[in-house]
Amino acid sequence: MGDLQQSSRTGGPPGERSEPPFAAVVRGTGMPIVVSDARQPGAPILFANDAFLALTGYAEPEVLGRDCGFLFGQEAAPPEATAMLADALDGRDSAAELLSYRKDGSAFWNSLYLSPVRDAQGGVAYVFAAHTDVSEKKARQLALEESQDILLADLNSRTRELEAALEQKTALLHEVDHRVKNNLQLISSLMLLQSRRIQDESTRLALRGMLERVSAIATVHRRLFQNADVTRFDVAEFIRDLTGDLAGAAGRDDLQLRLDLEHVAVPASQAAPLALVVNELISNALKHAFPPGRAGAITVSTRMLDSACVLTVADDGIGLPPGPPPRNFGMTIVQLLCQQLRANLEIANREPGVRAVVTIPVPAEAAL
Amino acid sequence: MTAPDPLSVLIVEDEVLLAVELGYLVREVGCTEVGHAASSDEAIRLAHDLGPDLALVDVHLLDGPTGIDAARSISTDCGGLVLFMTANVKRLPEDFAGACGVIGKPYSEAAVKRALCFLQTCVREGHAPGAPPVGLTLAPAFETRWRADMARAS
Repeated sequence: MGDLQQSSRTGGPPGERSEPPFAAVVRGTGMPIVVSDARQPGAPILFANDAFLALTGYAEPEVLGRDCGFLFGQEAAPPEATAMLADALDGRDSAAELLSYRKDGSAFWNSLYLSPVRDAQGGVAYVFAAHTDVSEKKARQLALEESQDILLADLNSRTRELEAALEQKTALLHEVDHRVKNNLQLISSLMLLQSRRIQDESTRLALRGMLERVSAIATVHRRLFQNADVTRFDVAEFIRDLTGDLAGAAGRDDLQLRLDLEHVAVPASQAAPLALVVNELISNALKHAFPPGRAGAITVSTRMLDSACVLTVADDGIGLPPGPPPRNFGMTIVQLLCQQLRANLEIANREPGVRAVVTIPVPAEAAL
Repeated sequence: MTAPDPLSVLIVEDEVLLAVELGYLVREVGCTEVGHAASSDEAIRLAHDLGPDLALVDVHLLDGPTGIDAARSISTDCGGLVLFMTANVKRLPEDFAGACGVIGKPYSEAAVKRALCFLQTCVREGHAPGAPPVGLTLAPAFETRWRADMARAS
């Protein structure tokens, strides 16, 4: 008890009611404070103020002389508390929020601040402990964390649902694309198979013409999903693809196909009608401009001019017959589709040959 | 330069109408159709028995999307060339499963004929006669092989 007597001389003696103002302040403050003896094993409590007794529900005799373990209920003091005390005995301050218990067993969150108090020789003589009940703040914090966890879980589950839905849609799009391509292939093969059996030349040519139209639409579908942007259609690439087939199908070594293609994009919705127009104009030139024995060239060019796509198919063949323009099926298709595309169509003799110019207005957002 | 020997061709396609029409195209360019398989098992067995120079392989067969495995097996074990013919060009593995290239569906009569003539020259002469024709995409390995040999030959 030597320390206690010593502390009675230097500080404020615990339990004594006629005390100096400083001791009265520590005893009477609203902040719960405990002072422990650093020199005794387990650092027993020397002093606990009224606020601490009010907070924990103990009477003063019930706490004096005990180590602080009772604050943590039936269990042994948590490792954090033991570490804090060890820090204080080593001369270091420490702070933590620990779950603590009142005399009646009810729990509260205790914001604990421990600080060593040294004597004149510099040794740690006392441990000063300030306690604050932060249960409400802690409860709010836990509720906030909990609601954040719920929100995050909700967000994650929604993200997973959206990803799954997108994956499903993408798979569906691929499946539909695959079916469209395979069905177009089937239609082409059917027409080819039948054309092989037809003896009548004009019927066979009509079927071949239809086959070329189906192939033009098939070429559109083959190209449509090749770009990252599925809403636009590259006219130049399409013409390169299509003309490779048309020239081969014509079987004429004496005809040249010249391509002068500028990069032009149209909305995907215009791709099929435009493809059919290009197909008709080129196959028309191949069929009518060069009778057997007449060599020549067909030039196909694309230009982007003032938000319009200008497509030109020119040949140096025999030119248009005199009189009104021909009204064959192919040209009827061209005229109807140009109406649909709101396109302007000009067909004129160019000495030698014929030039067809199609000017298609292209919405600005579709142009590259 | 003499006319190249005709290639023997195995057609692996589950749509019978496509297979029959493809047979016509193969014969029209002077190749020989040696067989037709509709499933991967049949394809591998026929490739093994007939040892074709070239197998035209669809990715989707009667037994599912097994064309890729069939292609790998045919090109590895039977030593023949494989050319994919599929609407799903983007789904092919990076190494083309050992195939020399792909023709995207829907293909045209002309594109198939051009590709067959091109491959015939590549096989018989060991190098490409020029750039691959429109409609045919070569696998990176074969692009290198046939181009490298062309450089050495010239």
